[in-house]
Amino acid sequence: MAPRRELATAEERVTALGVVAPPPIQVESPRFTGSLATLFLCVRERRIDLRDVPLTPICEAYLRYLIESPKTDFDEAAAALLALAYLLERKAWILLPTEEPEPELDDPAELIEPTTHLFQGAIETLRHREEERARVFFRPADAGPDPYEVPYVLRSASVCDLARALQRLLARANPEPMAPPARPRRSLAEQMKAILRVLDDQWRNLAELLPQPFTRVDAVFAFLAMLELLRLGQAAVRVTDREALFARPAPDPTP
Amino acid sequence: MNPSAVDLLEALLFVSDAPAKLEQLARAAGLTVGQAEQALELLSQRLERQGGLQLVRIAEGYQLCTKPEFAERIADFLKPQRQRLSRSLMEVLAIVAYRQPVTAAEIEEIRGVQSDYGIHSLLERRLIQEVGRKAAPGRPVLYGTTQQFLHHFGLKDLSELPRLTDGSAPPGDARLPTLFDRD
Repeated sequence: MAPRRELATAEERVTALGVVAPPPIQVESPRFTGSLATLFLCVRERRIDLRDVPLTPICEAYLRYLIESPKTDFDEAAAALLALAYLLERKAWILLPTEEPEPELDDPAELIEPTTHLFQGAIETLRHREEERARVFFRPADAGPDPYEVPYVLRSASVCDLARALQRLLARANPEPMAPPARPRRSLAEQMKAILRVLDDQWRNLAELLPQPFTRVDAVFAFLAMLELLRLGQAAVRVTDREALFARPAPDPTP
Repeated sequence: MNPSAVDLLEALLFVSDAPAKLEQLARAAGLTVGQAEQALELLSQRLERQGGLQLVRIAEGYQLCTKPEFAERIADFLKPQRQRLSRSLMEVLAIVAYRQPVTAAEIEEIRGVQSDYGIHSLLERRLIQEVGRKAAPGRPVLYGTTQQFLHHFGLKDLSELPRLTDGSAPPGDARLPTLFDRD
């Protein structure tokens, strides 16, 4: 371990209290994006519900930091371990099906008084407007081409090629992590939008279109979304060296 | 006003499957915005007098729809599958509508219960959408209402939302208070 006076020269790693800060491990989740240190502070001050923040990726990032860092600083690693241990203990207490209250490590958070009653009048009025709106009918939005009337183009690709693409994708997928309770799952429509955002003129396989790392459920959802995009003519497929490659379809030259 | 401009706007609205903005209609008909507005007024009056359709201002645009007196017959004919929003979904939706842009944590603070399901369900129905990230620790997602929300409730824009019981104005109501607004 480095002597304390040596650490004092590296100001960016030492906080005002003289405590070594954990390494900059990044946390990505729907409810929180930021560093491990910020997450630790937010949880301590009860500004974040830890149930919404999966801890497995953070632990994996910590292990990666230990393995991949050329010169691991033990003080930094210990600070990260301490922060992780604190988060794990807090989460374990939250998830534990017990009637005993969570031990009071910090000041108890103030009880929140719901103020939904302020919206009751507005909800009634909106409900009335919804009923009124249901009495008039508009031309329905165009649902796109009928798949039974407009044949979609698969070029040289066959159904077997697409099945092989799924098989390869699943082989590269990671096991499913422990999902936090009540975490919303991405819909097929959202998955299609995500794929459309990265789909361009370059021919790529499905794994290259997914954010890394991805799980088996991610892989299946991405494959189903791609099938739907092919059906709607929003994506094109071709087979090169027995591998299915996908890209944005070229514009139709015919008027 | 040239009667053909009124007919042309009626034709444009007939083929439109979404609310058309005034500027779009004016450009398509080769009119100024003022002329288009006048023609739409004439069209609205003409449709009120005769026919089964009416012109409505909805979701920041204009659209043709059927007259309410034919609702039962049309419902029998089309057999639409309308899904009424549940009480909890209406609560979440109202909070997003009035407090937008708002985070999930802020919604839960107002309701006092977890609202993940409600937010996800409203996102799927395209009544709310992600509108950005809050500049706060963790950069949580901010939610706001969509054009589909305005359409679902037959609202012209957000300023048509009713006032809350605490007297606070809807988010789109940018009108400055006058002497007549005092109690």
